[in-house]
Amino acid sequence: MAKTTRFKSGLLSSLIPFGFNVERWGYVVHRVTGVILIGYLAAHLFETFQLSLGPGAWANTMAALHSLGPLEMVGLWLVAGSALYHGANGIRLVLNEMFGMLMGKPIMPVYPYSPTSLGRNQKIAVWTITAVVLVLWLWAGLYLLAGLGVV
Amino acid sequence: MDKITMEVVRSDGNKTRYDLKFRKGMTVLDALIEVREKQDPTLAYRHSCRMGICGSCGMNIQGMPRLACQTQVSSLGKETVRVEPLHGMHVIKDLVVDIDPFLAMHTFVKPYLIRQDLKERDRSDREYRVLSEEVERFLQFDYCIMCALCYSACPTVALDPYYLGPQAIGQAYRYMADPRDEGWEQRVDLLDEAQGVWRCHVAGSCSLVCPKDVDPAKAVQMARMEILKKRVLRKRAKAGSPLVSVAPAAAPKQGTKAPPFDFRREGT
Amino acid sequence: MVEVIDHDVVIVGSGLAGLRAAAELLSTNRGEGLSLAVVSKLALMRSHSVAAEGGTAAVLYPEEGDSLELHAWDTIKGSDFLADQDSVWKFVTLCPEEMRQLERWGMPWSRKPDGRIAQRPFGGHSYDRATFAQDKVGFFEMRTLYDKLQEYGGWARYEETFVTSLVIGDGMFTGCTAIDMKHGKFVYLRARACVIATGGAGQLWKFTATSVSTTGDGIGLAYRAGLPVEDMEFMQFHPTGLIPTGILITEGARGEGGHLLNSKGERFMERYAPSKMELSPRDVVSRSIMKEIAEGRGFKDEDSGLSYVSLDLRHLGREKIDSKLPFIKELSMKFVGIDPVEDPIPIKPTAHYTMGGIPVNDSGRVLDENMREVKGLWAAGETACVSIHGANRLGSNSTAECLVYGRLVGRDILAFLSSQAAGSPETVSQDVAKEEARIFDGLMKNEKADEDVYAIKARLKEVMDRSVYVFRERAGLADAVREVRDLKERFKGVRVADGGRLFNYNLQDVLEVGVMLELAEVVAQGALNRTESRGGHSRLDFPQRDDASWLKHTLARRAEGGPQFSFAPVRITMWKPVERKY
Repeated sequence: MAKTTRFKSGLLSSLIPFGFNVERWGYVVHRVTGVILIGYLAAHLFETFQLSLGPGAWANTMAALHSLGPLEMVGLWLVAGSALYHGANGIRLVLNEMFGMLMGKPIMPVYPYSPTSLGRNQKIAVWTITAVVLVLWLWAGLYLLAGLGVV
Repeated sequence: MDKITMEVVRSDGNKTRYDLKFRKGMTVLDALIEVREKQDPTLAYRHSCRMGICGSCGMNIQGMPRLACQTQVSSLGKETVRVEPLHGMHVIKDLVVDIDPFLAMHTFVKPYLIRQDLKERDRSDREYRVLSEEVERFLQFDYCIMCALCYSACPTVALDPYYLGPQAIGQAYRYMADPRDEGWEQRVDLLDEAQGVWRCHVAGSCSLVCPKDVDPAKAVQMARMEILKKRVLRKRAKAGSPLVSVAPAAAPKQGTKAPPFDFRREGT
Repeated sequence: MVEVIDHDVVIVGSGLAGLRAAAELLSTNRGEGLSLAVVSKLALMRSHSVAAEGGTAAVLYPEEGDSLELHAWDTIKGSDFLADQDSVWKFVTLCPEEMRQLERWGMPWSRKPDGRIAQRPFGGHSYDRATFAQDKVGFFEMRTLYDKLQEYGGWARYEETFVTSLVIGDGMFTGCTAIDMKHGKFVYLRARACVIATGGAGQLWKFTATSVSTTGDGIGLAYRAGLPVEDMEFMQFHPTGLIPTGILITEGARGEGGHLLNSKGERFMERYAPSKMELSPRDVVSRSIMKEIAEGRGFKDEDSGLSYVSLDLRHLGREKIDSKLPFIKELSMKFVGIDPVEDPIPIKPTAHYTMGGIPVNDSGRVLDENMREVKGLWAAGETACVSIHGANRLGSNSTAECLVYGRLVGRDILAFLSSQAAGSPETVSQDVAKEEARIFDGLMKNEKADEDVYAIKARLKEVMDRSVYVFRERAGLADAVREVRDLKERFKGVRVADGGRLFNYNLQDVLEVGVMLELAEVVAQGALNRTESRGGHSRLDFPQRDDASWLKHTLARRAEGGPQFSFAPVRITMWKPVERKY
């Protein structure tokens, strides 16, 4: 067989799916937020572990963190958003995958085609989650800004 | 518009541009045929039925996997049509990709009617009684033309080449939902793997691009429910359909001479 | 360099007949000890059989009024009495088993309310015996057979492998040469038995319902190997082909109650076939449509210049169309933007089915010009001419024929193989090297080549559409013969522009057009010779059927100056020919 290459497979084209459905973008955000949350988990474990190394280590860690300035709050804000989105979308995914909800029933396809798994119920769930998450995320942002003394 | 430009990605990865006159009702396949016949006979692409039923002409048009024979150039809304081979599969030449891994996944899920008693299954003098409602439970998934558009659109397939893919799981579910099938247990075991059903995270792109509304995303979730039924709820497989005895009355054995025909029936 | 591959059985063509033969071979003893190869120039499940829409005929309910005699009578009368009646009888007795066997293998037939397999009315049948699966019967049958084959391991698939010639020595089949498109290799598939099931030759015409792949390859293989081809002048023009592409709108639309209307809004079939109306056999309906158009009562499509009449399904209602004819709705909305619930569909007769083909006996064994069997060679499906369909095929009989003959051929091959000891493989015939030289040195390296194969193909299709269509007459046919001979001369200087080895579709197109030109000459000359009208062959200058001189099959063999014609008698065992009125 002549030399063949796997055409545009891998990370880039699957992570930026232009022209695809909103659930696909949701899939991308879900994966990215999942990575952020795992990163946060590791960082949090490391930070809390410092406590067991004595008050000096703890004070150093806190100083290092606070030296980031506003970046620390931005980082926490991102983590808050990730947790909100990943959790809420995760609930929708559990409904889809474990209970077969929001997918619709097998039907006789009638042209023009409109798959039931991407139908009205699914879209309502997706946009409701997006709206709720955005509202809560903004509220979390305001809360953090208050902590900074800005608001 | 009266002129269009086809921008085709060739074997070496470079784009070649072909200018064509636009005709009313022209599909992307019509344009590619015109390119091969009038401009560049070395352009390779698959096609056969030109009516959206054989599944040969899958390719990426304006960034989405589509069937070329049923994509109207006018519906794309642009004067330049970007055509690439299907993503996620090896390119053999120009727009021809290697679908052998895709076909192998399909064969792996045992996509045929499994029954315990093979002799009884291969009898041909009577049929199973199946009601229309029972057929509707799996018929949608039987519409699959094996065009590989869903397989190409799936992000999990792009990241994990050993994932079964929406088409294979969809076909496994088609047989699990068929009331005549007794292979439920076997298929649950095949799908209940790390690279079986559990890789799917409902991106839904498979159902978006499917040209026949097979809705593989739905099939995968329904397959999951079947697995949960077995593993969690410990349900047993359901019994198969009862047989209907419809042996034709007094069928002549093969080879006997035909009885004389009543000519009074002529003119019916 | 030639790669030699040995198998016991090679099946060329993977449509309904080819896959059914493979299923029969593999399901007996689960294929143990048998080395089977299925070869197709497309992927296995992409054959044109998937486009079959309407139904498959079988006498499933004789206790409700149907009977085998009636099915046989309908088929023989539909064939305009050119069918071989003993073969028709054998065929109708085997159809019911095939329907039930497929059902056992997973076929989703549409069902009656009590759960039994449903049937619907179809053209030319006196009883509603077309077993249907919505309106995609060929597609579901192909899916069922392809899925069934996945159960068995140990058989080889040669997909996208274009068979270029048959090697026949001493009246015995030895192998076939092929180009493996995926790897760019020239292979010789050597086998003890071969089934040719490559379909018909609908692509000779421009306005056709067939796939681009239906170029008569298998018929050409036999013709070029010196075997005769039978009844090629009989081409069926299916009445309802969508304007402007020719895509098929199933006869089932008329079976469910659709009407054909001319430009005045009349159901014109009243004038031509008052008792069966739209459900007359296809040749009758096609002729009626063309007469209406010729007498000025058709419509004209400005963009393509084609004339047409209307198929009206509006009175069926949305629910019936969505449940029984969904594919028709999809096709008409996708390709012409018409919703059949709102507007009538524009249609015209389209080249659809090749009644002729490779002459076989009623076990599917290929016959030579003396009606003796060629050892080791079978043909099944549309490629073969048994002849069951005679001069005109009834709808839903072809899918049935493919299944029945796929099975008969499979069984016959098993009997043949067990009765023959496997000999030691002989040396590779010189014909293989000659074929390789013809293609790779002759065609591809032709120094003086300057002809464009696509221009030749386009001209051929135009000529066939113009002169060898529903109605034919002497001047037009003589013109067509002359033009085809002209094109054959031009073809000698054809240029293969793509010099590559991998997926060289240009070379495949050239090889296909070579075969198409030969078959077109047989069709046109055969039509010119036959001075009568029978079934799908209608002559304006000889409008009557002439049983005295023309109740015989045409056989054509390849020769230097064009096809050589001879004749074979029709086997009449049950009913003498009568006038064919509907």
